[in-house]
Amino acid sequence: MHWSRPARLPGASYCARTGDEVNIDAAIVGIGCSTFGRGLPDSQLRLAAVAFRDALADAGLQRSDVDGLSIHLGWPLGVDYDRIAEGFGLDIRYVNQSWLHGRFVTNALQHAALAVSAGLADVVACVTAVSFTRERGFLGGPGDIEGNREEGGTHGEAPPYGLTAPAGGAAIAMQRYMHLYGATSDQLAAVPIAMRNHALKNPRAIMKEPLTLAAHQSARMVVDPLRLFDCCLISDGAVVVLIARGDRARDLRQKPVRVIGMQGTRSGRDEFIFAPRGLGINQQSARRSANRPIDLEVFAQAGVARENVQGFYTYDAFSPLVMFALERFGYCGAGEAAAWVQGGRIELGGALPINTSGGLLSEAHVAGWNSICEMVRQLRGAAGASQIANAAVLQWGTAWGDSFILAA
Amino acid sequence: MTAYDKPRPRIGPDNEPFWHGCRAHRLMLPTCRACGEPHLPPGPVCPFCFSDDIAWQAASGRGCICTWTIVHKAWFPAFKGETPYNIVQVELDEGPRLTSRIVGCGDQKIQIGQRVEVVFDDIDEELTLHGFRIVEP
Repeated sequence: MHWSRPARLPGASYCARTGDEVNIDAAIVGIGCSTFGRGLPDSQLRLAAVAFRDALADAGLQRSDVDGLSIHLGWPLGVDYDRIAEGFGLDIRYVNQSWLHGRFVTNALQHAALAVSAGLADVVACVTAVSFTRERGFLGGPGDIEGNREEGGTHGEAPPYGLTAPAGGAAIAMQRYMHLYGATSDQLAAVPIAMRNHALKNPRAIMKEPLTLAAHQSARMVVDPLRLFDCCLISDGAVVVLIARGDRARDLRQKPVRVIGMQGTRSGRDEFIFAPRGLGINQQSARRSANRPIDLEVFAQAGVARENVQGFYTYDAFSPLVMFALERFGYCGAGEAAAWVQGGRIELGGALPINTSGGLLSEAHVAGWNSICEMVRQLRGAAGASQIANAAVLQWGTAWGDSFILAA
Repeated sequence: MTAYDKPRPRIGPDNEPFWHGCRAHRLMLPTCRACGEPHLPPGPVCPFCFSDDIAWQAASGRGCICTWTIVHKAWFPAFKGETPYNIVQVELDEGPRLTSRIVGCGDQKIQIGQRVEVVFDDIDEELTLHGFRIVEP
């Protein structure tokens, strides 16, 4: 599909299949955060309001400039878009809503980018707000409406047998991965240790103490092979990300951070949310094969090679998801990620720093949006002690295969 | 005797024959009459050829463990007294994979590739759960 816009930022995008130009013309123009913490007394709506005000100030926009909402919140873990529009006094002409689930982070940002590119809105606010410490019973427990649906939830839940939490899905995938490739829990520890090292440079991060291999190995087993520090924080906080079309973005307070390529969520019988294709979980085939062009279309669309990506950001709800995402996007081959993440390669100063603010494992679990804010700070050159030198191209990509690439 | 307070399967039109089969101690698979392929989880159409012509056929009940975990944390109060307990995915000889549990042996015997066969556990008047036991070579 083609759109024509009179004024586009430089840097055209191309479809991986047809080679046609794709006119994604969207930029992140503002970011806002509430405090991140555990046991915060504020409502989700209040946390979201704080982040919303912060994002408007960051962008130099007024509340009345926001005419679109892309909500990564909603039932059963929060309010819907209409309560936000009503509660914040907005006048909205475009809405996308998913519910609060890692699967829909990328989707929420992509819909905002598509909406401004198509002229359905001028400025879309992506809103997420979590109060996980208050809603603990939801997360794999008796209150987990999502995981207790017919045939279980999306992470392979089997409630009658006591597999009821998302961590269980990551565990069954990692167990098979370890069997196939000889990967070990020691190797897996490199992921949460890297996230912790990043958190130690970030004053907003919840986790303040270093994590050693010994501490990782002696921590309690949660769902084998996942130990305590392989599982993300249960925390509270909100993030708002404002997205505008290129012509609008140029006139605002901050240097625009452009969305230069995207690829959508992968789904089907050969997919399991917490595994690369072909790992043999649920009804997936049990044959790994090389990535096809369509698996990597985000790079073609962005017109950048993998080698040009200076940092990788991902939904690190559980340590294995980081390794699976690296294999999805071809940073290493099938079965190679456990060795690949060793030796500081994924830490600041390494070849591919990952989640440089500490991620869900050590900064805070704000549904991935804390890491998206970090990408924006990096591309503005405003990441302080965590700054990647001359950061110009960063990738967001998840274990379930969706992605976007941002550029300064 | 205390009431069974663990989660029960959510039984609807698509999976009712599966759980009804368990009551009769038979592992039933929805199987396409058009292309011959069985599938799980039970759906209203064949996921391979999209035919509506689904027949329920008894499976051999045999397969092998393709992945597993041991759950240490009690997310549900009703499982608190049983931790740590195992969960497995079994690849049935017919092809589809089923999430279940291994009974009758210590969890240390659970290995990927291990041959298993189905057993049934009558919970109460309405519910029978499938499980698997290890088949010694």
